[in-house]
Amino acid sequence: MTNPTNVQRSRRGGSGEVPLQTRANTIVKEADHATPLELSDITIRYGGGKGGAEAVSVVEGFDLTLHAGEMHCVAGRSGSGKTSILTVGAGLTLPTSGRVFWEGDSLESMGDDEIADRRRALIGYVDQGGALIDGMSALENVLLPAVPDGEVDQRRDMAKDLLDLVGLGRRMRHRPAQLSGGERQRVAIARALILGTRVLVVDEPTASLDRASANRIISILKDTTSDGIAVLVASHDHELVRLSDSLTELI
Amino acid sequence: MNAVQRFIRSKVLLLTAAILIAAMCLSVLVQSQSQAALNRTVDENSRGLYDVLVQAKAPSGALLQPEIANGTGGISFEQLDSIRKLSGTSVAAPISLVSRVTQNLESPRLDAMDYLGYNAGLAGTATADQAAGATAPDKWPAAESVLSDETKKYRLTASAVSSDGVSEQTLFKSTAEGSLGKAKLVEEKAAGGNSIRIAAPEGETGIKFPAPAGGSEHNLFNLSVSLPLAPEVTESVVAVDPAAERALLGSSGDFLAPLEKAPPADARDAGAIGRYFEGLFTNGIGLDQLEEGPDFLGVKLKYWAPLMTQYQQAKRTGQLTADSQAIPLIVRSGTSLDLKYNVKIEEIDDAGKVVKDVGTVSRSLDKDYLPFVSKDPFVLSWPGSTDHSSLLGSTGNFNQGLYTPATWSTDFAAAPKYTDGEAAANGAVEKTAVPGEWVTINRLPEKSANGTPVDQTQREPVDERSYRENLATGEQVAAPLAMVYGTFDPAAVAEAAGDVNKLPLGGYDPTPFTLVKDAEGKDVPATELEPSLSATGLASQSAGAITDYYGLAAARGYTDNADVIDAIRVRAKAPGSWKEAQPEVEELANEIRAMGLEATIVAGSAREDASIFVPGYSKDDAGKESALGTVQQSWVRQNAAEAVTGSLSGTNITLLFLTLCGAALLTGASTVSYIRKRRSEAGTLRAMGWTQRRIRSWVLEEFGVGAVLLAVAGIVLSLLSWSLATALVCVAVLVLYAGAALFAAQQLRHRDVIDQEPQHDERLIPVDSPLTFANRQLGTNKFNTLSLAVAVGVFGAAVGGLIALLIDIPRAAGASALSGLAAASVALPSILLALAGVVVGLVLTLVTGRFELNAKRQYLGILEAMGWNPDMLRQVRLFENALVGTVALPLGVLGALGIGLLLAPYAALWAGVAGLVAVLCWIPIATKVVQ
Repeated sequence: MTNPTNVQRSRRGGSGEVPLQTRANTIVKEADHATPLELSDITIRYGGGKGGAEAVSVVEGFDLTLHAGEMHCVAGRSGSGKTSILTVGAGLTLPTSGRVFWEGDSLESMGDDEIADRRRALIGYVDQGGALIDGMSALENVLLPAVPDGEVDQRRDMAKDLLDLVGLGRRMRHRPAQLSGGERQRVAIARALILGTRVLVVDEPTASLDRASANRIISILKDTTSDGIAVLVASHDHELVRLSDSLTELI
Repeated sequence: MNAVQRFIRSKVLLLTAAILIAAMCLSVLVQSQSQAALNRTVDENSRGLYDVLVQAKAPSGALLQPEIANGTGGISFEQLDSIRKLSGTSVAAPISLVSRVTQNLESPRLDAMDYLGYNAGLAGTATADQAAGATAPDKWPAAESVLSDETKKYRLTASAVSSDGVSEQTLFKSTAEGSLGKAKLVEEKAAGGNSIRIAAPEGETGIKFPAPAGGSEHNLFNLSVSLPLAPEVTESVVAVDPAAERALLGSSGDFLAPLEKAPPADARDAGAIGRYFEGLFTNGIGLDQLEEGPDFLGVKLKYWAPLMTQYQQAKRTGQLTADSQAIPLIVRSGTSLDLKYNVKIEEIDDAGKVVKDVGTVSRSLDKDYLPFVSKDPFVLSWPGSTDHSSLLGSTGNFNQGLYTPATWSTDFAAAPKYTDGEAAANGAVEKTAVPGEWVTINRLPEKSANGTPVDQTQREPVDERSYRENLATGEQVAAPLAMVYGTFDPAAVAEAAGDVNKLPLGGYDPTPFTLVKDAEGKDVPATELEPSLSATGLASQSAGAITDYYGLAAARGYTDNADVIDAIRVRAKAPGSWKEAQPEVEELANEIRAMGLEATIVAGSAREDASIFVPGYSKDDAGKESALGTVQQSWVRQNAAEAVTGSLSGTNITLLFLTLCGAALLTGASTVSYIRKRRSEAGTLRAMGWTQRRIRSWVLEEFGVGAVLLAVAGIVLSLLSWSLATALVCVAVLVLYAGAALFAAQQLRHRDVIDQEPQHDERLIPVDSPLTFANRQLGTNKFNTLSLAVAVGVFGAAVGGLIALLIDIPRAAGASALSGLAAASVALPSILLALAGVVVGLVLTLVTGRFELNAKRQYLGILEAMGWNPDMLRQVRLFENALVGTVALPLGVLGALGIGLLLAPYAALWAGVAGLVAVLCWIPIATKVVQ
């Protein structure tokens, strides 16, 4: 069944709890070019195709404005639509209705190639579990986003720095199969940051990790916000929820 | 979940079992349908009207030239009787070439309508007695003429042209001039009354060609201008035993029935027969009897008139002696000889200048022509003329036919001699015709019909390339007279007799030559060479007449027991198809060989085309010889039945083997796919405490369900087809499946990582483009890559095999009549098998392609998420497929070449090209399909 209710709370600039806000009404707003990511009245439904199955509404009327340097957490139980919101935000899937703005530009007006180009420049997406490409070392995985622009050699040092930053400076020649889950997650974050990303979209970064590894990931994410990078993260990790600037809890 | 449920759930195993059952069904298709159809077709079509050809001399080899009777004889009548007495002989039908007979065609003439109207004195008793078909006097139309009252001067140019279908030759051209005009009726008083005569107009000179042409004359209906003699026409005469020949040909030999009633040798005295017919006229003969033909010893001789006129002519010229015999003949109706007679008519003034072109009239020998018989083959009609002669009805006018006895000769026209050339890539036989002598034709007779000398200057003799052999006996036999008993239609006989008329010495027809390349070796539109009066050495037509062996003795001066039989066609008593009759036919042939004769088994043979280069075919005025080019002629391949059966059976077995190979590969791929799907499941079961033994049983139980299905299908199919080959295939498939089961069980015991990690980064190509990324992925998943490459290679090889087969079937159909029929009988199953191979290749690519489908989907998703645009993702897929295709290319091309070499060696190159194209086509298609 569809879960129609989104509850949003905001806690900008402070560490204390802020009251929960009822979900915003659907308002078509003027785009804010300073806002890296904005989701407006997003509804996501699955099914209801030719097979005659009833459509399942996962998200309805979801709004989000993500500012530079802000970490927003989407929390909720499994199947509540966290990953769906992230993939819509990253432009990987289209919402059933509603609009997605990247730095004020609606994705509706973009073609596939433009979306891909803009995503490469703007969004760093980290899949659940930190999916890496087998057969390529950690360093090569990090450099993969630079391939389309032919900047592999130019970004090699930056990739090494990023791997150092995430604590994998000594494991950059290891293959995914030779890395632990947390290490793969960190490689994936490094890979997401290689092109100077302004929005980091991270799906369940601490799932299946021990506390120490999870804290390390959370720390890295928090550090990126200090560089002005907006982070949209889906998680039900309490620590991550606690440290995020704002929270949407999907019921 | 029990084993059956697990088996059904496992689509891979279900697919594998289905494919293997399909492979078994295909084997049944091949064995019980295709092979049976092939055997049946070959058997039914490789036993003609006779089984053994007996000759005195040994044939040249396995490929027999299609000679008609050659006149060399060599077999005696005692030997013929001995063969007939053999217990295995059903029919023994002898055949020999009697003679080449040269005859002058009746003098051609040009009739210009100059009808004078009814006149009782000229119409005579025909109308008075109302002869059959006569028109009553008051119904005769008014006088009519194409000539003018005043004479006009005309120039007539007569010419004869002959063509062999490739080149045309003018045999002569002769011109005569003179004045012609409308005739008048002149009534004059004579003793006892008035006489009426037809008189030429005043000043008419008439037109006369050189002798023996007789000038021009007026009659009641026409002005007739005698034209130059047409060229001589030569016909061959063969001898058969009419009774045996009818037994051989069946109802299609009924035309020989009159010959069976011909008088015995001692009752064929030409003088006595001539006197008998003279007596008929002396004593009076009714018109009905004339039309039907007077009775001669129980046969109505419709064509008695030619015999009579030739008898009278021979008697007049002293050719008729006491030894002269009348030779009974069944003559061919129609001719394929191309001979055209033309007359150009021009009105001229006194200075010889053309005033008016009246027109050109022409006539050819055609289907109405009868050798030894034809009356007026070249009567031409002045433009605008109407023939009113039928107003008289039938006045007892009979077919005068030839007026000069024909010249019988033992200058036989034999088939050319050949030298073997290289065999062509497709197995076609290459030969070269060995030129024979040049002989002179187109000459005029020394004397005309009335004994006057002939002006020889009006005709240029023509040199003709001949393959004649002079078998003159040295004895000058008395001039025989042709006594025509009936006619035969060569086309009808050829159709009814089938291959008997095309097999060596089978009948009366030489096999035609078809020109396919000119002298320079360039392809030309296929043209069948016509018999002509120029360069006729290679192409001659059906025998002009058939006689019996008494006729042969009379014409050639042999006694009736001489060794004059060219060949004997023997049909064995054994009934049934070729295979059924083969042992008895071979026994019969051995018995004949024991008599010192050559016995060639023609049952099981078939016709096939031989390419023959013909040099020195014609020469120009300077005497320089030119080649004709390359012709094709149907020869006879001995043991073609076994060769065709062996060849096509080989094709079937090869296809079956390849199909099984494809099934084996597919089973392997399916098993790998099964192992991958079940590995995690096996791990879970292990974690739950299952022992290795139990896991092994768990796997084998699933395979066991498929094995039971396969076994049941195999038993049913084997019983249905009742073929050992099918049973063996079913067992092989079952063994294959069992092997796959054991392999799967073995693999699931251990958790091994199949994908291998690159060990040395420095040796790897850095990933900096879609191409290098694709390369790295394929290098990482070597097993998957190689599996897919092998699958694509198999697909390419299968396409190559299909193309080889598609090329081979029409070639086989064209190679010989038998192979054509046989190929047609197996074409559909063979193509189905080859298509099945292609389908197996395709399914194999799909199965192996799925090995890495999930991994591929995952990394394409990752790349998309990090901003690789759709074009770059497409490039990755394209480069991956291109790299797989690069590995598959040699497999596909070499596989296709190999299959091509097995199926049709000459088509192997095309098969290789097809394999190459198939693999190259797979690359973009797979790129498009895998999104």
